[in-house]
Amino acid sequence: MIDLVNVSRLYHRGADEIHALERVSLHVERQRFVALMGPSGSGKSTLLNVLAGLDRPNSGEVTVAGKRLNEMSEDQLAAFRAHTVGFVFQFFNLIPVLNGVENVELPLLLTNLGKAERRQRAETALRIVGLADRGDHRPRELSGGEQQRVAIARSIVTDAELIVADEPTGDLDAKNAEEILSLLQTLRRDFAKTVVIVTHDPRAEKWVDEVIHLDKGVLLEKRPGGAARGAAGAAG
Amino acid sequence: MKYLPLVWRNLGRNPLRSVLTAAAIALAIALVCILRTMPAGLDAILASAAANTRISTHNEAGIVYSMPYSYLAKVRAVPGVVAAISWNWFGGALDLTKGVEFPNFAVDPDGFAEVYADWGLEPKVLEDFRKYRDAALVARQTLEKHRWKVGDVITLQSTVFPVTLSFRIVGANPNQGGALYFQREYLEQALAGAGVQFDTTGMIWSRVDDPERVAPVMRQIDEMFRNSEAITSTETEKSFIGNFFGGLKQLVTIIQIVAALVTLCIVFIAANTASMSIRERVGEIAILKAIGFRRQTIFSTLLAEAGLLALVAGIIGAVAAFGMLKALQLYATGAGPQLGPLTAFAVSNAILVQAIFIAFFIGILSGWVPALGASRRSVAQTLREVF
Repeated sequence: MIDLVNVSRLYHRGADEIHALERVSLHVERQRFVALMGPSGSGKSTLLNVLAGLDRPNSGEVTVAGKRLNEMSEDQLAAFRAHTVGFVFQFFNLIPVLNGVENVELPLLLTNLGKAERRQRAETALRIVGLADRGDHRPRELSGGEQQRVAIARSIVTDAELIVADEPTGDLDAKNAEEILSLLQTLRRDFAKTVVIVTHDPRAEKWVDEVIHLDKGVLLEKRPGGAARGAAGAAG
Repeated sequence: MKYLPLVWRNLGRNPLRSVLTAAAIALAIALVCILRTMPAGLDAILASAAANTRISTHNEAGIVYSMPYSYLAKVRAVPGVVAAISWNWFGGALDLTKGVEFPNFAVDPDGFAEVYADWGLEPKVLEDFRKYRDAALVARQTLEKHRWKVGDVITLQSTVFPVTLSFRIVGANPNQGGALYFQREYLEQALAGAGVQFDTTGMIWSRVDDPERVAPVMRQIDEMFRNSEAITSTETEKSFIGNFFGGLKQLVTIIQIVAALVTLCIVFIAANTASMSIRERVGEIAILKAIGFRRQTIFSTLLAEAGLLALVAGIIGAVAAFGMLKALQLYATGAGPQLGPLTAFAVSNAILVQAIFIAFFIGILSGWVPALGASRRSVAQTLREVF
């Protein structure tokens, strides 16, 4: 699903050069739940942005869902994100003037679907995340956990193959964080999604198939997560 | 069209700001509509007030300078002149503390009917005007303003001559300036009684038999007095009234320039509002781009917001201007006939359409730069900066 080969990303901050990623190579199979972990400034969010088509590397090859992102124009990248990637952010980032179902429907505006079809799909996505009865509420009328569920519904409404989430539990309490991680795992397991999250949350380890550790832009370690160990244990 | 609900919702994000911006644009557009009617309105007044064969002769130095009364006979003798009458400003006031409330002139009753043939005065009125030495023809709007009627007697104290005269109202005239006309002989006798010699005239109004002959007749009259003690200047009624409006037209030009500057200010205000509105949701715009909205789509929806707001405001402003001018027209034709000339100020469909287009243009212009900036911003950089 994801292939990164020798990817480097360099930023300029004033006169300083910041090596956010240094020759990172990574392969993620389809239908895996992967956590990118590491201290602040380790390059995990940059890596997520690069593999989601939000940012371009200075060098290296990025292939996602069989598409080489390096050669795509801005509009092609936008189309790639619209069809292939679903996004979940730490602060939910819903549009405050739209209600839940309208927020979920937003990515479908980029398709050729009719109004009724768009609405039906958005309601289905909300049902999947357990918020079928909260679709007519504005974001400010929803709890943090509910807002993040709406954001997840928005990420799956286009049936994107890849779900990327940047600190999806960062602004949630323990109970809601567990529920969101469980939901992401369900998407991987029951809906065949590939899920990549950036997180500081150690609780995430038990839900994911793989944990990838980065520090100072370098990929340090790739090891199985709790879900993979559980599956292996069950198989053994 | 599928983005319209999103655009509309974004306009309702900060209702007070949207309403205030719309109000500023609507006001500017109403102003533009009203001011754009002024030149056409003045032209309409001119066209309705002026007859194309009536000419005015006055002292070349200006209308405040008089001419010998003997000029009248000479003008009447010019071939092509059907009739001519003298005009003298009486400057009569009902109450000196209030000043002259309406223009009043001493004129020759002989020839009055011919010079003002287009007024359609009734024969009985004209007969009475000639018959009674103290007769006065008063403009309809002045009659209604002071609630006078035919048969009433009014007294005017002159601010020019040392006399006070009483007049018997014998009829109405359609003069839009509200003027009162009375017999010159009446003033002459009153002044003789006061020991004042009266042998001058302020103006001479004549009617020419053929519109084609107006120009040669005017030239001939002025040629006749070229070497006399008072050199004359003869012009058509339209030109004469136009000179009165000349100053007003310059004022209108100045007002229109100010209106254009106000409109420009509104562009800056609207641009600032659009800029603030977009800056406040840089993060949201980045999210839209992240989920696949193209730059062009972002740019178009942001521009549509500014355009839609300005368009709605423009329609409100245009409708308000139309309503105000319509109300003014109704008032001028009904309750207040003294405002008769104001009926000419009607906003045309073309002006309304132009004004709405200007409003839309204001919106597009004000939204262009902020929308372009927001659409070009890097998603990853914005996400790093904002979240």
